Amino acid sequence: MARRTILGREKFVPPVIKVDGGWQLTLDVEERALITRLMGELRALIEGPDDNALLGRLFPNAYLDDEEKEAEYQRLMREELVASRVKAIEAVSALLDPASSKPGDVWDEAQTIAFMQSINAIRLVLGSLLGIDDDESADDAETAATPEHQLYDFLSWLLEWTVRALSPD
Amino acid sequence: MPTTLEPVRLSQTVMEPAVELTSDTVNSLDRPWIVLVWNDPVNLMSYVTYVFQKLFGFSLEKATELMLDVHEKGRAVVASGTREEAEMHVFRLHEHSLWATMEHDGSGSNG
Repeated sequence: MARRTILGREKFVPPVIKVDGGWQLTLDVEERALITRLMGELRALIEGPDDNALLGRLFPNAYLDDEEKEAEYQRLMREELVASRVKAIEAVSALLDPASSKPGDVWDEAQTIAFMQSINAIRLVLGSLLGIDDDESADDAETAATPEHQLYDFLSWLLEWTVRALSPD
Repeated sequence: MPTTLEPVRLSQTVMEPAVELTSDTVNSLDRPWIVLVWNDPVNLMSYVTYVFQKLFGFSLEKATELMLDVHEKGRAVVASGTREEAEMHVFRLHEHSLWATMEHDGSGSNG
């Protein structure tokens, strides 16, 4: 999936690259549509019932051994975290929407970070779905070949390149 | 950069993440909360390192050191401050899906 044909030659192009004035996503139409669909699913999950176990990693506890402070924290911050995640998802969806964007558009840093955050959020949900909760299950997941595992690997690959593109030299 | 607050500037060493204040007395009274990041099997090392750089202004070396602390020791203290400051750090780490918690300095599981 990471090979593009350029002037008749197979050439590897990273999925996210640093360019003059920002960052570019080089994924193809199908891959962009896949991410758009995942963003929709992620948003539905985040805006759905807040006791869904798949949300655990997206909304962790702030206090481990103080129920009172934890309840207060969640009362004050949970909605704000939902709003922040939804805002990032909306930004990414707009960046990938064929009606408002085109491949080759240059993203600014905030847009690229929203992309990074949202891709990672999906990985965390998928990780919960696949039962990745320790290093052993993470190792097992790397050798499994279900469509979900392949999607997880794809998102990890995409995230790695996004981080690399964003990281200061 | 989509930040909503000024990051608390941390001192340069891992052992003393307690900011620019020099008075131990002021430190213990006003900045008694520590922010911990815990190891997890999903977040990528490169990602965690980048987030530490981004949120706290750490150098690559410092951020990598902290990331490896999390990886090898199971957790690391990445910031300290007042309760409000610590909560904002935890919030921003949660925005990036890192497993962050906070606790009163000396209240038990830090160390």
